[in-house]
Amino acid sequence: MNRLTNLPTLRINPAEELTFYYGRTNFSGCYGDTVASALYAGGVRIFSRSLKYHRPRGLYSLDGECSNTLMTVNSIPNIRTENTLLKPDMKVDAQNVMGSAENDMMGFMDKLDFFMPAGFYYRIMHKPSFIWPIFMKHIRKAAGLGTISPDFRMKGVYDEIYPVADVCIIGGGAAGMSAALAAADSGKRIILIESRPWLGGCFDYRIHSYGKGKPLYLRARELAAQVEQTPNIRIFKHTFLIGAYSANMLTAFQTGGENDSFDERYIEIKSESFVVATGCIERPLLFENNERPGVMQISCAHRLAKTYGVLPGKDAVFSVGHDTGLEAAIDLFDLGLKVSCVADIREDGHDQKLLEELAERRIPFLGGWAAARVHGEKHVNKVTLSKLDGTIQRHFHCDLLVASAGLTPVTAPLSLMNAGFEYDDHTGYFLPVNMPEKVFAAGRITGLNNPSSIEASGRLAGFMAAMASGASCKNEIEDARKALAMLPGPERGTKFLSVPVSGRKTFICFDEDTTIKNIRQAIDMGFDVPELIKRFTSAGTGPGQSGIPGHNLPLCVANYTGKCISKFRPTTVRPPVVPTYIATYAGRKHRMTKRTPVHDLQVKKCGVFRLMGVWERARYFSDDFTCRNEILNVRNNVGMLDSSTLGKFRIHGPDALKALQRVYVSDMRSVRNGCIKYSAMCNDDGCVIDDGVIVRISENDYYFTTSTARAGQTIEWIRYHTKYDDWDFHIVNLTDSMGVINISGPNSRKVLEKIADSDLSNTAFPFGGYREFSVAGVIPVRAMRPGFVGELSYELHVPSSWMQSLWEIIESAGKEFNIGNFGVEAQNVMRMEKGHLILGIESEQRTNLLDLGLGFLWDRSKMEAKTVGAVALRQAENDSGRLKLVGIKMDDSQRPPRDGSVIVDKRIRGYVCTARRSFSLDTVIGMAIVESDLSNIGTELEIFEDECKAELIHVRVVHMPFYDPEGKRMKM
Amino acid sequence: MALTLTCPVCGKRNGYEFRYGGEDKGPRPAEGGLTPEQWCSHVHMNKSVAGIQKEWWVHRDGCGMWFTVYRNTAGNTEVPEHDLSLKSQNRDGEA
Repeated sequence: MNRLTNLPTLRINPAEELTFYYGRTNFSGCYGDTVASALYAGGVRIFSRSLKYHRPRGLYSLDGECSNTLMTVNSIPNIRTENTLLKPDMKVDAQNVMGSAENDMMGFMDKLDFFMPAGFYYRIMHKPSFIWPIFMKHIRKAAGLGTISPDFRMKGVYDEIYPVADVCIIGGGAAGMSAALAAADSGKRIILIESRPWLGGCFDYRIHSYGKGKPLYLRARELAAQVEQTPNIRIFKHTFLIGAYSANMLTAFQTGGENDSFDERYIEIKSESFVVATGCIERPLLFENNERPGVMQISCAHRLAKTYGVLPGKDAVFSVGHDTGLEAAIDLFDLGLKVSCVADIREDGHDQKLLEELAERRIPFLGGWAAARVHGEKHVNKVTLSKLDGTIQRHFHCDLLVASAGLTPVTAPLSLMNAGFEYDDHTGYFLPVNMPEKVFAAGRITGLNNPSSIEASGRLAGFMAAMASGASCKNEIEDARKALAMLPGPERGTKFLSVPVSGRKTFICFDEDTTIKNIRQAIDMGFDVPELIKRFTSAGTGPGQSGIPGHNLPLCVANYTGKCISKFRPTTVRPPVVPTYIATYAGRKHRMTKRTPVHDLQVKKCGVFRLMGVWERARYFSDDFTCRNEILNVRNNVGMLDSSTLGKFRIHGPDALKALQRVYVSDMRSVRNGCIKYSAMCNDDGCVIDDGVIVRISENDYYFTTSTARAGQTIEWIRYHTKYDDWDFHIVNLTDSMGVINISGPNSRKVLEKIADSDLSNTAFPFGGYREFSVAGVIPVRAMRPGFVGELSYELHVPSSWMQSLWEIIESAGKEFNIGNFGVEAQNVMRMEKGHLILGIESEQRTNLLDLGLGFLWDRSKMEAKTVGAVALRQAENDSGRLKLVGIKMDDSQRPPRDGSVIVDKRIRGYVCTARRSFSLDTVIGMAIVESDLSNIGTELEIFEDECKAELIHVRVVHMPFYDPEGKRMKM
Repeated sequence: MALTLTCPVCGKRNGYEFRYGGEDKGPRPAEGGLTPEQWCSHVHMNKSVAGIQKEWWVHRDGCGMWFTVYRNTAGNTEVPEHDLSLKSQNRDGEA
């Protein structure tokens, strides 16, 4: 194993080997590796090919700031391999390559850059116009990231949580941890989120002294242990910020570890106050071929060795602009890397101790120099260093160039929170100004670099955030402020971008292959602010979300235009800050369904179930979806149906009747004891929203049913329309606690008589009646005699716990009559034959009570009730331009038109609600909603169906009901 | 959802648990003598204030209570009633 194994800073376990595949080759990595670090350790240098030019791209930042290391992992494209932990047997593939990343047949594209100036997609190859589609096809094929198979199904568990905190801290480095500890002192609830799988930030991998001989990494471990032991700090590691929104909300997602129950989870955090301690990333140094594999940032090289135990090369040149670069050069030299030269942009202001250490190791040091060009086709083999003004050049052979122009703060979270930014000459950073209310910045993001200052600023921000969330810690804030003032302040930084270069192969944005030359072209064409240049050149629009070009773009624009940098700002950041799976947003499977108490009994009877609203309902009881036998058995004999999905409610109390009067169109005073009353509810526009029956159980106590679909909203609806009235009534939703069995057919009385302890004769329990009796001496039954399917019919309402027993009792009692199950479809056909409605099928949003011919339900005399919908109905009565529900019949015996087909003459005049072959009547009948001038009996209608090839279906408007018009059968 | 609301029964809860019930427009007008226009404006017309307005919400996934809150529509935040009286006092003071 080619790893450094004895480093105390390692985050891998070199003893635990994991195997995986890259292409067809077996690779091995260590437990704790990311996919990218394992590939690098295995010798892979080219990870992908770039978007436009198919240039080789390698490991650059190790924090996922660019698309260089996006790869396809387990068939999922665009996985950020620098941030994805290696798991056993992963299948990793390179993207945007024809062949392999190493040998890409599209590599010649790099020579065609003259063909693709800034904005070429909008302005080149468009004349003559016919050539554009041809070019577009090829451009799109050649450019891009990964591809996904249309049949790809996302695997894994995606969870979601919605935690609430008093203080939320973004960034688990030294500043963030100090802020968390300080804020936790007040007893407030703290949430700390950190993007890496561990706490520690920029301290984590450094052995540089913290003071008193203690190295930084040990200090980080110490803080992390304290944070983890503090009970009121909730830590989310390996968690990436997605967005920040108004009213103190953050969204993020967390990648699950091996002991987590999820693969990824969406986190929505609400917090009173925030501390942003996201630290710094490196600002890329620009030079020719600055993204050639073998060029990487300081912390990338440093962390590869210290965190992952991988020495990033053999022979290195450093071109840096910050003390961390000198520190890394010394560290890596001590680990066995040959360092040919360290060039530093700065001519003075270095940490003298670091310079002495470089000298001790005889590492050549050039102050005021920087990299000008990298040589090598696929990998660095030589570097040209140059004085900053380009006057003197020197060449070094090497296989690694560690390059960075300096540090720059991670401003994305603050940008999302609507903070402003201003360029600060001293630090060379865009520092936050106009901080939003209750948001505090801490650590390196404020320009600090001294470890003690970083922690002190964290403590101060922590106390201030605690106070903003209601804690009293004025004294602590004063002390923390004083402590911070005693420590070193922000350090001087650099605003250097590049030595003079042609810029043709100097990439400011890796994701979109945007060069300095492209930026200059855009400016020459009149684009003068970074926001517009970004859009025209697409710099910073890639998956890295401006991680690479973010702060270089305004600097570059200022340099080229000769304007003062203070006039420019980084471009606006928008969510998602890092690429997020759609699956993560979707979270858990939200579709939850309900089953009735007799679900399993119907499964045994070969019920074919369909999802209807929230319910799983038995729609058919055979493969014959016309339900012929089910229907004929009810018409001629007896059948049973599970109607438990009906909405069922009790409303009681002194003002219960007033509430019913408000929402039902009928006069509810006329509900008589022992009788059911059918009525409907309308909305304020008079459109029908629900129908059902009401029963008066006793004084001020009613039981009513609603349609299945409305059950969920009924209480809300009644309470809404009585909200100003201060009436005294209670509503109880009994939908789930009561089940319903419907027995229908001429023999149904015979079946029920066998089991009920009550007189069921037509005089004792007539049509439209309501009775309470018991079955088998114990099962309390509320029985109704409705006429929905048009036969003698009983609807038995019983507590859900008795449903299975009653079902089985009826089945055995009905055996001698050959009782059969019927499903929702059979019921649908039979009620249609009777001309009975199902709201939502025979109505839509704009269908009012009168359109359906249900005007007789409406009692217009109860003005004092302020009935919902009554005013609109009064107005609609005089409206001739409305749609009407009509019965339709087909003269020849073709197949019935499909539900929802449109009725046309020169234009659409209505639609078919339900149409079926009626076995009872041996013809095709149905119901349709048509414009009122087509509603007269005998009118011929023409129906258009998709793909009917202009052969319209002809039907005639007829009287309803079709079956048993006198209603004798249901009154038997 | 960024919004939190204070249910009179259940306290401060996530906005996802609630359903909006419209602006507070006062009790239903009497049915007699109402013109269709008056009725329509009561049912359908809204002030759509950019600022603080009184509105109805129901704690759908909680106790089921309908209640009114003051909400700042510009920032989508609930405004506690005591803040409201403070603000109007200040305004009166300035006047």
